[in-house]
Amino acid sequence: MKSVLALILMSTAAGAEPAPGVANEARAKMNWMLHCQGCHQPDATGSANGAPGMANDVARFLRVEGGREYLTRVPGVANAGLDNAQLAELLNWTLGTFDRQHVPNDFSPFTAEEMAAGRARPLVSDAAMMREALRNKFPASEEGSAGGD
Amino acid sequence: MKELDKLSEGVVRFLARSNSRRGVLATIGGVITGGAMFPALPVARASGPAAGSGYDGVTPQSTGNPMDPGDPASCDYWRYCGIDGFLCSCCGGSASVCPPGTEMSPITWIGTCRNPADDVNYIISYNDCCGKPACGRCLCNRNDGERPMTRPQLNNDINWCLGTSTAAYTCSTAVIIGVAVKEGNG
Repeated sequence: MKSVLALILMSTAAGAEPAPGVANEARAKMNWMLHCQGCHQPDATGSANGAPGMANDVARFLRVEGGREYLTRVPGVANAGLDNAQLAELLNWTLGTFDRQHVPNDFSPFTAEEMAAGRARPLVSDAAMMREALRNKFPASEEGSAGGD
Repeated sequence: MKELDKLSEGVVRFLARSNSRRGVLATIGGVITGGAMFPALPVARASGPAAGSGYDGVTPQSTGNPMDPGDPASCDYWRYCGIDGFLCSCCGGSASVCPPGTEMSPITWIGTCRNPADDVNYIISYNDCCGKPACGRCLCNRNDGERPMTRPQLNNDINWCLGTSTAAYTCSTAVIIGVAVKEGNG
């Protein structure tokens, strides 16, 4: 009986665990709805010829050189109508919510200063090119791990 | 029977005494002509509501929920604060449902509107309904909080029926997808 209770407690705790670098999850989710999901869709699967899909994929950029900086410079991030602190929170929330499996164990959350530096050099038409260049660096062995639940 | 005869005779004689034959013809002619003219007079036909959309055939609507006040077939309805387009409520759908035969666009413009009933800001998604010709009724263009094209994330003239099998725009909905928290600045 005790072990069952512990199991229930553990699973509840795991479900409620906030993503790293997210001070206010409700605010992050609201900012996702207001600033991202109109084009990226509620489940972050993206839209054809529009905003790229991010589900089970976006955190893989953290694992290649230049990928972390790229995420702070993409048009949707750099031009969002949010201050640097909320933008960092939103990006951290997005990574933890839609692609937790690819977030590296030693991941240090994005900070307001980092966002300020990235959005000072926003990507425009070169975003897609850079994305492909980074994608080509993704380790092939990771391909099979996408999906999850 | 005799009484009835007497009564009829009395009435007829009274009419004959009190009316000239020409007078009767003139009265009948006046009634016929006046009756024919009456529908052509420029009076309110009361086919549309005094308040509401003002479009012919669109009657006032209600959600029936006191916490969701107003007329969903009118531009003034609280959920339409950022809308740009024809109201699906006037086109065979509702504020959150597409008319039959149309497809709801997954790519949308999203903003917040304050509900006057509880003074809470709700997150509203203005999903387009697509696949039939433009409805043409109840055009609303309130655009609260909209920004010019130079701020594409906050401009509602870009996404028209993207992500659907057809780009034919029919009308717009205003679906509540969440509640805005106070700490945000969105």
